[in-house]
Amino acid sequence: MPVAAESKLRVVIVGGGTAGWMTAAALTRLLPDHCSVRLVESEAIGVVGVGEATLPHIRAFNERLGIDEAEFMARTRATFKLGIEFRDWNRIGDSYIHPFGTFGRGSGAVDFHHYWARLLREGAALPSLDTVSYACALARSGKFDHPASDRTPLSGTFGYAYQFDALLFAPYLRELAEQGGARRTEGTIANVERDAESGDITAVVLESGERVAGDLLVDCSGFRSLLLGSALDEPFVDWSQWLPTDRAVAMPCRTCTAVTPYTSAIAMPAGWRWRIPLQHRTGNGYVYASAFVSDEEARRALETAVEGEPLAEPRMLRFKAGRRRRSWVGNCVAIGLASGFLEPLESTSIYLVQQAITTLIELFPERPVGASDRDEFNRIIDLEYDRIRDFLILHYHATTRDDSPFWDHVRTMTVPDSLSEKLELWRTRGRLVKYREGVFLDPSWVAVYLGQGIVPEGWDPRIDTVAPDALLRGLETLRAEIDSDVARRPDHRSFIERYCAMAQAA
Amino acid sequence: MLRERLGHVLVAGGGTTGWCAAAALKRRAPFLDVTILSCAPSRHALADRIACTLPSLIGFQEDLGIGAADGIVRAGSGYRLGTLFTGWANGIPDYVHAYGRYGAAFGATAFHHHWVRAAQDGSAVPFDRHSPAAAMARAGRFAPPKPGTPFADHEFGLAIDVARHASMMRAFALHVGVREIPGEIGGVTLDADGAIATVDLTDGTAFGADLFIDATGPEARLRGVLGDDRDDWSAWLPCDRVLIAETNDEPMVLTTVTAHEAGWRWASGVQSGFAYASTAISDGKAARVLRNATGATPDEPIRVRPGTRPQSWRGNCIAIGDAATEIEPLEWCNLHLALSAIDRLIAMLPGRVPVPVEVVEFNRQTLAEAERVRDFLAMHYHTARRDDPLWRATAAAEAPASLAHTLAQFAERGRLPFFEEETFARDSWAAVLIGQGFLPRRVDPLVSAVPVAATRAAMARQVAAIAAALPHVPTHAAYRADQKRHLTR
Repeated sequence: MPVAAESKLRVVIVGGGTAGWMTAAALTRLLPDHCSVRLVESEAIGVVGVGEATLPHIRAFNERLGIDEAEFMARTRATFKLGIEFRDWNRIGDSYIHPFGTFGRGSGAVDFHHYWARLLREGAALPSLDTVSYACALARSGKFDHPASDRTPLSGTFGYAYQFDALLFAPYLRELAEQGGARRTEGTIANVERDAESGDITAVVLESGERVAGDLLVDCSGFRSLLLGSALDEPFVDWSQWLPTDRAVAMPCRTCTAVTPYTSAIAMPAGWRWRIPLQHRTGNGYVYASAFVSDEEARRALETAVEGEPLAEPRMLRFKAGRRRRSWVGNCVAIGLASGFLEPLESTSIYLVQQAITTLIELFPERPVGASDRDEFNRIIDLEYDRIRDFLILHYHATTRDDSPFWDHVRTMTVPDSLSEKLELWRTRGRLVKYREGVFLDPSWVAVYLGQGIVPEGWDPRIDTVAPDALLRGLETLRAEIDSDVARRPDHRSFIERYCAMAQAA
Repeated sequence: MLRERLGHVLVAGGGTTGWCAAAALKRRAPFLDVTILSCAPSRHALADRIACTLPSLIGFQEDLGIGAADGIVRAGSGYRLGTLFTGWANGIPDYVHAYGRYGAAFGATAFHHHWVRAAQDGSAVPFDRHSPAAAMARAGRFAPPKPGTPFADHEFGLAIDVARHASMMRAFALHVGVREIPGEIGGVTLDADGAIATVDLTDGTAFGADLFIDATGPEARLRGVLGDDRDDWSAWLPCDRVLIAETNDEPMVLTTVTAHEAGWRWASGVQSGFAYASTAISDGKAARVLRNATGATPDEPIRVRPGTRPQSWRGNCIAIGDAATEIEPLEWCNLHLALSAIDRLIAMLPGRVPVPVEVVEFNRQTLAEAERVRDFLAMHYHTARRDDPLWRATAAAEAPASLAHTLAQFAERGRLPFFEEETFARDSWAAVLIGQGFLPRRVDPLVSAVPVAATRAAMARQVAAIAAALPHVPTHAAYRADQKRHLTR
C-alpha cells in the first residue's frame, strides 16, 4: 500500500558525487513508498572521484538495484578486478597479490596456510604463493572468466570486483535515481537551519536563497563534511599517527601495457602509487606523507613512474586518515568522505559508502528520527572503519624496508592493540582472529601476512603427521590443476571486448 | 619452546563432558597423549546430567565419526525438535521454539517482518505455525530433513539417556586410544610458577600433564585452585536450584517448559525437572510440586550459581562445562557450551607452553559465546509477563547491555542485531520474542516492497503446505522403532 505523500520522509542529500548518487539511487529504488529524495549539488564544486577500484561487495549492491553488469561496465568503461598486486612493500623487488579468493582449495579441516607455513619453516623450496590461488593465477596470466556458480571446483574459489571511471559512475546512477523520482537541485549551500530545541537540521539554504527542508539530511559533501563536520561540529578521530599519508597526486595516462585484471599498489619512498587500468586509460596516483616528501618531488616521482602518455595535468588531493566520532548525529547521516577517510590502499572507499547506504536502508528511520536507529547504525559503521584501519596499518608496519625515513617510521611505530594482538597470534601460531562480520576475512589477512614476509613460527599441530613430500606432491597437483584450468580461460581484454566494450567515440 | 608440540593432555571428570573432551581431543588430534581421570561426575554438573541437548551434539559426534547408529540409536536417545513454552506470558497461547526456520523469506527482508505486518492488521496466525519443525513437534512426529518437502531444513537435538550416552562416549574414547585412570581427586599440586604440576588422587598417585582440562563440574577442582574470579548473572537468571526426576518414559520430540510462580518445570519423557529460585520456594515444597506434577520422586536439589569465569583458560588449565559456566538448563545449553569449548580448543590447539595471546583469544571467544547464551536465556525472563513477585522482579531488572541492545532494536523495528559467537539463530530469537508477545512497534519499511495481498497468499500457502505434508511424517515413536529395526536387521 503506497504511503501518502505527506507522510513520506523527506530525504535531502547534500553533494552529488559517487556517494550522493549511490544513496539517491538506492533510496528511490528500494524505499520508493517511504521517502522522497532531493539531491543538492553544485556544478561549481568538483568531485573527488579519481578512477575507482572496488571490492566484490559492489556486485551485490548493483544487483539489488537491478543494474545489468555488462551495461554498467560499458557505461563506466570498467574492467574486471581479481585482486590487488602489492609491489615493493616488504622489500624492493617483491610482488604479491591479495586476491578476492582463497589459497588452496578453500576446504579441509586445517586451513591451507598452516601447511604453507610449515613447509616454509622446514626449508622446502616453494613456488610463489600466487601459484596456489586460482584467483592469483588467473590475475597473473591476464585472464578473466566469471567464477563457477558453486565453490567446489577451483574455478569457484574466487570473487571479483570492478575498476571503473568514478566520474562516469555517478551520472549513471543519477539516471537511475532520477527515473526513480529523485529531484536534483543545482546550488551551493549558504546556510544550515537547525531546530533550536532538538538541534536537528531543518533545512539547507542555498546561495540562491532557496530553502530546502528535510526530515533526514544525508551529508555526501565529501571532505568538507558540510553538515556533520561544519554545521554539527562532530569531532574527528584522527588516525594519522598510524596512517601518515595525507596527500595524493593523480594523473591518468594512456594504456600502453596490458589491461591487467587487477589493481597495482606500488610502494614508493614516502607512500605508494596506484595503477588502475580501465578500458580507455590507466589511472595513476601517488599517495604520500607530506612530512616525508614535498609536493613537487611527489609530482615528479609520479610523472617519472607512469607508463604511458599523460592524459591530464597532475591533480592534488589533501586528506587526513580518521573518521567522525559518530557518522549519524541527530537527523544527519554522513556517507562517504564526509564521515571519514581511509586511504584507497585496499579500495575501501566505495565499500564504505555502500555499507553506510545498506545499513541506512536496513535502519531507515521515521519522523522524527529516533535514537535506536542511529545507535545501531553507528555501532555497525564504527566497526567497519576500525577493522579496515587495522588491516591498512598492517601493510605499512609489516615491512623490512629501511631505505627511507617514511618506511623507518611506519616499520617502527606502535600499532593499535587490536592489531598487535592479531599479529602476535599469527606470528606465534599461524592463527587468525576470527570474526564473521567485517569486510576482510581470513584469506585477505593471510595474503598480506605471507605476502609481506611474516611467516608464522608455529602451525596447527594436526598437520605434523603428514610427510613433507606428500605435502609437496599435493601442492604440485594443485598447481597443475590451477594452471590447466586457467589456460582455458579467455584473455581479460578480449573478454571485455566481447562482453562489455565501451561505446567508441564517433 | 614456542615450537614444542603439545604432548600430554589430562582430562579430569568422568561425566559426559569429560568423555566428550577426551574422545574429541584424541580422535581429532591423534598425536596427543590423552588421559582421563574418570572421577565420579559432580552431582551438580548440569552439563553431565541434563538429558535435553541442542543440535550441536549431532555435529560434534559426526566430526568424531560417530554416526546415528552408535551415537543416537544404540545410545537410546530420542529426537528433539524444540521446546514448548507454556504460561510464560499472561493471556498468550503456548508457543514452540523449534530448531529450524520460521516461514520462508520473500523479498529482501526476513520472514518475521512480514509476519509483524500481518499481526498489525490482525491477519496473522501464531508465528510458530509457520515453522515446519514446530508443526512436526506439536504433532509428535519426527523425520530428519528431506529435500523437496516443507521439512527440508530443520535441525534437531537429542533427548539422551545420560548414562548410556556417557558410556557410549567412553567406549569410543577408549577405542581411539584414550587412557583411563579411575580414582578420586584428592587435590592439586602447583609448581613454582603457580601452574598445575600434578593432579593428586586420593590413593596418593599423582598425574602431571602439559595441559589440564577441568570437567569436574561447578566445583572446578582444578581450575578453581588457580583463582575463582566469576561474573555473576543472578540478577537476570533467577533460578539457583534444579530438581531432576528420572521418569524414564518414552522420550518426547517436543520438550515442555511450563512457567511456575517460583521458576519453571520441564518434561522430556526421559526426565522431568523443576528449576526454581530458592528465595521463592523451599526445597521441600519444590520437591512436592514436581512429584505432584509427574508422580516421580526427584533427587536432591542441584545448586546453580548463575555466572561464568571470564577466563575459563588460565595458565595450563582450561575449565569446560559447569566448571566454566553455571547456568540454569532453560534452552538446554549446558552440554552445548562444553562441546563448543572443546571444538574451540581443537581449532586453536596450543603448543606445549601456551602463548598469552592464544589464551586471551580463546577466552574472548568463549566469554562472548557464554554471554550471548546468558542474553538469550535472560530474554525469556525479561519479556515474560506474569504477576508473581519473582517474575515481576526479573522482568524489571535492567538487562545486560548487549541484551538491552537486542531488545531495543527488536522492540523498535523487529531488528535482530548481529553478535559474534552467537549460539541461537535469528529465527530462534524471533520465535521466543514473538511467542511471548514482545512485538515490534513498527513494521520494517522494506516489507512494503511486497504487497499485503501477496504476503497473505504466500503465508497461507506455506501454512497449507506444512499441514498437507504433515500426515506423511512418521510419529516420533514409529520413526525410532524403525531406526531400531534397521539396526537389528
